[in-house]
Amino acid sequence: MRIWKKNWSIPVFVYLAAALVMAYASFRLPNLLPGDFVTAMYAGSDVTLNAEQEAELRAFYQDTHGFPGYLRNLATLDWGYSHAFMAPVSQLFLQALPWTLLLMGTAHVLSTLLGFVLGVEAAWRRGSLLEKAVVGIMTVLEGIPEICSGVLLLLVFALSLGWFPAAGAQMAYADHTFGQWIADVAHHLALPLATLILAYLPGNFLLARAGMVMVLESWFVLTARAKGLPPVRVRYVHAARNALLPMVTRFGLRFAFMITGALVVETIFSYPGLGTLLFNAIAMRDLPLVQGIVLFSAIMVLVVNLGMEYIYNLLDPRVGHAY
Amino acid sequence: MHIDVGRQIGKDPWFITGISILLFLGFLAVAGPFLVPHDPYDISFSPLHPPSADHWLGTNDGGMDILSELVFSLRNTVIFGVTAGTAGLVLGVVAGLFSAWAGGWTDQVIMRLADIVLAIPSVMVLILVAAFFQPSPVVLALTLAGLAWPTTARGVRAQALTLKNSLHIKAAQHMGGSGRYIIARHLMPELFPLYLINFAAKTRMAVFMEASLAFLGLFDPGEKSLGLMISYALQYYYLDIWSNWLMPPIMLLSLLIMGATFVTISMEKIFDPRLRKTV
Repeated sequence: MRIWKKNWSIPVFVYLAAALVMAYASFRLPNLLPGDFVTAMYAGSDVTLNAEQEAELRAFYQDTHGFPGYLRNLATLDWGYSHAFMAPVSQLFLQALPWTLLLMGTAHVLSTLLGFVLGVEAAWRRGSLLEKAVVGIMTVLEGIPEICSGVLLLLVFALSLGWFPAAGAQMAYADHTFGQWIADVAHHLALPLATLILAYLPGNFLLARAGMVMVLESWFVLTARAKGLPPVRVRYVHAARNALLPMVTRFGLRFAFMITGALVVETIFSYPGLGTLLFNAIAMRDLPLVQGIVLFSAIMVLVVNLGMEYIYNLLDPRVGHAY
Repeated sequence: MHIDVGRQIGKDPWFITGISILLFLGFLAVAGPFLVPHDPYDISFSPLHPPSADHWLGTNDGGMDILSELVFSLRNTVIFGVTAGTAGLVLGVVAGLFSAWAGGWTDQVIMRLADIVLAIPSVMVLILVAAFFQPSPVVLALTLAGLAWPTTARGVRAQALTLKNSLHIKAAQHMGGSGRYIIARHLMPELFPLYLINFAAKTRMAVFMEASLAFLGLFDPGEKSLGLMISYALQYYYLDIWSNWLMPPIMLLSLLIMGATFVTISMEKIFDPRLRKTV
């Protein structure tokens, strides 16, 4: 995902354009619907609107200020009102966001670190029986989607064995000290986190291993070995740094998958993050809420990916000079 | 070169396993509707019946035969994946070849467009479209293809650019071959392995997306899909249904994605000259 060549500002424009496309789609789509979609949508929902609320919702979707006005509303957190949850969309979004960040962030950091170290070690021991077995297991795991592993973990560890809670992120109304609260949150986090790590780890592992195998063939690794450096130093100080690059480049492409997976996993474990909120919003046909979640998750993805572009250039100075 | 690669890939156990799984599931998807004992939409059976001689996997909460439902779900999921995979591949190949061949401004415009589309998280657009328009799965598959072409376009363009300067293309040009002739007869056939890899990868992604979107409730609830089946069965987790209702769609979905993964990884390994050493 390297689009930075001559000019440092190109990625900013590309991501800004992508964000504007998303915002414009979210702005235009409701108006492209035929007929009175507010009534039609909420007719199929559990939420009953009174005439006043319906009029308000129609006004919300009426194109009165044009696209600039829409953008201004977005910037001022005026994302509409959710009639299903009786709260402003921005408030619901900001309540759910920390849990998603906790879940996805932890899963991502752990699976990247673990995948990287395992990948480097596997490449170093290439050809051994253990390495072949690990590569085989990882390839099989790569083929199991989050829906499947998540449901299985839920059935076995939460419902059948009862070791972990099946839903939620913390015990409701519990009078915990701070330490107990942390333990409780970790206890609730365990299963969704395990599902996401099972889903992200194989990809990271396979990428790191493939990158490392190629790096190990290069002359400078031979030199490092010939100098008699300890193998750990050759592996991590000399070779592995170069194997990091493919992992960073592929990050942007993998991120969309990760988001999809996180939405599903949160729903399976009823984790109170954005995924569950989105699931409930879809089930109740709560359009402003769906729009708000989709748009702002997309913008967060874009910001993260933009950051990765610059990190890549910091990690690999060759890119900047090559053009 | 291609013949040799063909022989090589035929020996890779991952490829053989993957393609066998896919062929088996493909057969089920195509022939399944003629093999299943009941109409999957028939609700006349007693609901939540455990497996019996008549209903091998029992019946669901609506009194539908689960085995028939399973086969139709697999079929719909496969159709979604193949539609999105094919359309995305065609778009990507056309854009990539055109971009490489035209060069200059056309190339710049197409590639910047690819950058922008690549930056947009496709699942978000699909959720938005599905929530507002509630379109048929085919429309969603085509929308997904419209968002998934840039990876293929980039790969095809890069390969086509190196090919463009090779001797036999130059020779064809000097013999007076038109652009269309050279693209159709020289460039397109030579990039064939790339198409296979991209098709497998895209189909895998699309199947994953379809199951996720269906699970999130974005498809018509009357539709048959593996994701929907898992989502419905999960609502009855407290009953003893997991072996006959919940596990079958989970196994089929995993097998489907696993088959596509094995084939993709194996082909990438063998067709990518840099990666070949890592086999």
